[in-house]
Amino acid sequence: MTDAKRSNNITLLIILVAIMGIMAIFLPDKFLTGINFRSMIRQFPEYGLLAFAILLAMITGGIDLSVVSITSLTGVVAAKILAAHAVIGELWGVGPWTVIFLAILSALAVAVLCGILNGILITLAGVPAIIATLGTNGLFLGIAIILTEGHGITGFPTEFLFFGNGRVLGLPTQFVIFILVALLLGLILTRTAQGFRMYMLGSNPLVAKFSGVNNTMVLIKTHVLTALLAGIASIIMISSVNSMRPGYGQAYLLLAVLIAILGGTNPAGGFGTVLGVTLAIFALQAMQSGLNILSFTPFFKKFIWGLMLLLVMVIHFYRQRYAATKGLGKAPPQKPMEKAEAG
Amino acid sequence: MLKNALKHNETYLFLVIVVFSLGVTIVNPAFMTLENMFDLARSSSATAILAIGFFMVLLSGGIDVSFPAVAISGQYIAVNVLIAMGIDNLLLAFLISIAVGLSFGLINAFFITTFRLPTLIVTLGTLNMFHGALLEFVGTKAVNTGGLPDVFKSFGKTNVLTLMRPDGTEYGLSIFFLVLIIIAVGTWLILRFTILGRGIYALGGDPEAARRAGFNLNRIQVFLYCYAGLLAGIMGIMHVSLIRYSNPNYIVDSELLKVIAAVVLGGASITGGKGSIIGTLLGVLMITVLEKNLVLLGLSSYWQQFFVGLILVLGVSVTHIQAKIRNRNRILVS
Repeated sequence: MTDAKRSNNITLLIILVAIMGIMAIFLPDKFLTGINFRSMIRQFPEYGLLAFAILLAMITGGIDLSVVSITSLTGVVAAKILAAHAVIGELWGVGPWTVIFLAILSALAVAVLCGILNGILITLAGVPAIIATLGTNGLFLGIAIILTEGHGITGFPTEFLFFGNGRVLGLPTQFVIFILVALLLGLILTRTAQGFRMYMLGSNPLVAKFSGVNNTMVLIKTHVLTALLAGIASIIMISSVNSMRPGYGQAYLLLAVLIAILGGTNPAGGFGTVLGVTLAIFALQAMQSGLNILSFTPFFKKFIWGLMLLLVMVIHFYRQRYAATKGLGKAPPQKPMEKAEAG
Repeated sequence: MLKNALKHNETYLFLVIVVFSLGVTIVNPAFMTLENMFDLARSSSATAILAIGFFMVLLSGGIDVSFPAVAISGQYIAVNVLIAMGIDNLLLAFLISIAVGLSFGLINAFFITTFRLPTLIVTLGTLNMFHGALLEFVGTKAVNTGGLPDVFKSFGKTNVLTLMRPDGTEYGLSIFFLVLIIIAVGTWLILRFTILGRGIYALGGDPEAARRAGFNLNRIQVFLYCYAGLLAGIMGIMHVSLIRYSNPNYIVDSELLKVIAAVVLGGASITGGKGSIIGTLLGVLMITVLEKNLVLLGLSSYWQQFFVGLILVLGVSVTHIQAKIRNRNRILVS
C-alpha cells in the first residue's frame, strides 16, 4: 500500500515539474513571474477545498455530488447576513467583525446540517451515496435559489474582503486557510480513530462492521466534514468575488472529482491521501494558469478537464494491472467489478 | 414476491399522481381536460425518451450522466448542418443527430468496457468533454425561431389525432407522443422477449453470475450506451421541434436531475436489476404534472429546482427504507 502511495505521489511530482518546465520554457515572461504565482495561490483554495471534500467521501467508498450546492447554500446564507450588516450592526450595536463572525458561523452551521442530512440518507435510509447526494444537490441549490429568487447578493462590509483578497504574513489569506485545513485533514486521516475507520470502511464495510466500527456514525461524520469543507470554500469564494449568486462555481464539481482521482484516490474506496490530492491541485492549477495565459476559452478547458479525467482513470487502470502482475501480494487488490460499477 | 413489491411501487406512484391531479383539478378545472392532457403528452414526450435511455443503463447497474450533452450535441450539430447545407429535411436531421448520439455512446462504451472504469466517473468526464467540444468546435450562438429550418417547426406542429374545440378551432395529439409510444413499446419488447434484455437484467442483478451464465457483458454494455446515445439523439431533434429554438446550453442544466428523479421515482434501483418501463413513464408523468402545476399552487418558478430535488430525495428514501425492512425480515446481513 505505502509503495503504491509513494509511487503515485512521485508520478504527480514529476507531472507537476514537467508542466512547470514546459510552461517556463515556452512562456518564460508570463509563467515564471511573481504575479502569476501570486494569482495561482489565490485561485486554487476555492476548488482545492472541494477536492478535499470529494477525497473524504471517496475514501469511504462513496462520493458527494452535492458539495457545490452546499457551497451555494452556505454562501447565500453568509451573504444574506453580510449584506444586512448595517441593519444588524445598528440593531444590536455591534461592529462589522461581529457580523462577519455571525455570518461564518451560520454558514458553517448550515453546512453541518447539510452534511448530517446527506449522512442520514446514506446510512439510516440506505440510499447509495451517488443518488442521495445527487438529490440533495438539487435540494440545496433549490433552497439557495428560493432564498435569493435568482438574484445576486452584494454589499458586504469591506472587512469581509480579508478572506478572499487579504494577506496573512504576506501570503493570501485563502492560501493560509487552505494550508491549515490540509494539515488538519492530514492529521484527522492519519492520526485519529475516525480517519482509520474511514479507510477501513472504504476497503470493506462488512469487515469494518464486524470489527466493531459504527459505520453509521463514521459515515455521518465524514459527510459533516465534507460539508464543512464546502462551507469554508463558500466563504473564500464569496469574499474573493465580493458577491454571491446561487449556482456560482457549478463547474467546480468536475474539477474536484478530477483532482481527487488525479491525486490517486480510489473511487471504490479505501485509498487516498491529502498529500496526493494537494500535489494534484498544484498540478491542475499550473495547467489552468498555462491554459489561461494561452487564452483558451472556458469551453476548451471544460473539454480538456473531461478528457483528462478519462485519461487519468485509464492510466490508473494500467498501473494497477502492472502492479498486480508484478508485485503480487504488495499491490492493492483489484476491486471486484460490481463494486467499481456502483462507485 | 419481488414482482409483487414492484407492482406495488408502480400502483403506489400511479395513485399519488391520480390524487395529485384530482387536487389540482379542484383548484383549476381546466387541468382535467383532454386538451391539457394532450399538451402534457406533447411537452413531456422528449423527457420521457431520455428517461427510457437512462433507465436502461441503470437497469444494468451502471449510470450514464452524459445524456444531456449527447442530446444537445445531436440537436445543435444537426440544426447547424441543415442550415449550412441549405437542406430542409427532417430525416437527415434525425440521421445526423442519431449518428452523433451513437458515436458518443460508443465512446462511453469504449472506456467502460475496455478499462472497466466506474460508469459515473466516465460519463461525468464525457458529459463535460462532449459539451465543451460542442461549444468550442461547433459554436455557442443560439439559433432562433426565424433562423430555424422549417421542417423542425412543422414537425413540432404535426398531430396524429386532431379534434375540434366548441368554437371551431383545432387541437390535437402531437406526433411526439407516437414516437414515445413506439420507443417505449420497442424497449419493452427488447427487455421482455430477447436474450439481450434478459442479459441486461442479469448484468444488473449480478455481473459475475451473468458472466458465468454465458452472457457477453461487453456486448451488452456497448449496446446499452449506444442505445442511450441513440435515444438522446432522437430527443435532441424533438426538443428543438418543441421549443423552436436551438441553444447549445439548453438541456444540459435542466434535464439531468429531472430525468434521474423521474427514473428513480419510477422504482428503478440505482444498483441495477430492478425497474420497469411503465414505472419510468409514470415517474416522468409525476415530475411533469408537479412541475406544470407549481405556479397553480401559488409557488413561483424558483421552487422548481427545490421540488425536483425534494422528490428525488423522498422517492429514493422511501424505496431504500422499504428494501432495508424487507432485508431485515429475511434475516440477511446488511
